[in-house]
Amino acid sequence: MRLLPLFIIVAAWQAASSAGWLPKALLPSFWEVASALGALVSSGEIFRHTASSFARAGAGFAIAVIGGIALGIVMARVKAVQRAVEPVLLLIYPVPKPALIPLFMIWLGIGDVSKVTVIALACLLPVVVASFNGARSVDDVLLWSARARGTSEHRLLWRVVLPAALPQIAAGVRTAIAIAIIVLVSSEFISAETGLGYLIFSYGGVGADDAMLAVVIWLGALGYLLDRLYLAGLRRAMSWHAFAH
Amino acid sequence: MPLLIRIAPVALVLAAWELVSRAALVNPHVFPPVSEIALRWVALFVDGRIYLPLWETVWRALAGFAVAVAIGVPLGLLMGRVRAAEWFFEPLFSFGFPLPKIALIPLYVHWFGLFSLSKVMLISTDCLFPMVLFTYHGARGLSPVYLWSAQSRGTGRVRMLWRVVLPLSAASIYDGIQVAIVVAVLVAVVSEMVSGSTGLGQLMIRSYRFGDVRTAFAALVTISLVGYALYSAVQWLRGRLLFWHTGDV
Repeated sequence: MRLLPLFIIVAAWQAASSAGWLPKALLPSFWEVASALGALVSSGEIFRHTASSFARAGAGFAIAVIGGIALGIVMARVKAVQRAVEPVLLLIYPVPKPALIPLFMIWLGIGDVSKVTVIALACLLPVVVASFNGARSVDDVLLWSARARGTSEHRLLWRVVLPAALPQIAAGVRTAIAIAIIVLVSSEFISAETGLGYLIFSYGGVGADDAMLAVVIWLGALGYLLDRLYLAGLRRAMSWHAFAH
Repeated sequence: MPLLIRIAPVALVLAAWELVSRAALVNPHVFPPVSEIALRWVALFVDGRIYLPLWETVWRALAGFAVAVAIGVPLGLLMGRVRAAEWFFEPLFSFGFPLPKIALIPLYVHWFGLFSLSKVMLISTDCLFPMVLFTYHGARGLSPVYLWSAQSRGTGRVRMLWRVVLPLSAASIYDGIQVAIVVAVLVAVVSEMVSGSTGLGQLMIRSYRFGDVRTAFAALVTISLVGYALYSAVQWLRGRLLFWHTGDV
């Protein structure tokens, strides 16, 4: 029911194309885009490009999440690390991350390494900031109570600080998912021979608007699905937290 | 002294970078010393090469941002107060918000050409989403007491949007503005990198093609400063524009 407006737009789009109000040179009809998507799926071409995009975004995202949570929590609990890292992070913060792509292409080549690095760097900041804020605001009572039972400092990070910070970390990771897709597409637009960004750009370049829009819709649907899956997984994993309700 | 200690890590990183490059531990052509990048940055301003791309990026970002505010605020207010508008637009903007709008660059180039128009349109499209959603949430969440009070004095519906709902939603709208200004600079630079023509993004890509790391880096610094300056300006203005606003209503 909530999707009804979306269907109305699609129906209006198709109707305008069929009635000839919307010239094909401007926008192919919805039906043409849908059949282009069908062709891309049945030939399997889109899966190959989806796989290489996923590998890039997934690798950068995984590095950022693991490194970012570790760094954020250690920063929150160890003053010296915070003093050393925070100014450097503040310096990187205002840099629009896709603008790093050309530099990293010079340093690390035009292949996957530069793309994964920029994606990791772009995703790192929201995760670090969320983990830092989450770990810093852990209720002192929890820490005292764990320490009073003889929990070692090392174990404390794992068993108390990390779970307590998890709701904030989860929000940072969700931001990182969206950022990963944006930086992925930008980097594949600029230089790539595989991937969904490349596919959009090359179909756009030869004027195959139906196939181009098909890939745009596919990408949007995948991004949406990822976000939903993440939220659903979160609700299960954190059923103990108010976040889930 | 505290400031000195605070910036010490940054100074250390820069010093290490300078030394590593000067000692030729890495290829200084690919990874030039930070001092040479700083000199190039100054040189770009002295010889004036930076001004045109800088101006182009800034005006595109601001134009796209302004269009998004001009459309997004009235639309968001309408969605917050009129059932039918909420029913139709809310799902579209909620679903569209997390999607990567920059994937539309090739389509926009096709529709609006290679030059500024396609970039400004894309920037305004991308900025429209936070503007609409923040305005909508602000307008929907306000206390009905204010509306009843205005209604009982015979305020008309259109006047109500402008004179009651808009000022009460101002804090939320301004949150949207602070998100949108960051998005505007980002999309301006990405669209310049991808579809060429001119601007700071294009300066970076051109420097990359010539292997000119110094200029590419100087352009990156300029881009970051532009983003930082615009965001700071917007934040500074918040206190002045919303001076009467003491907290959430």
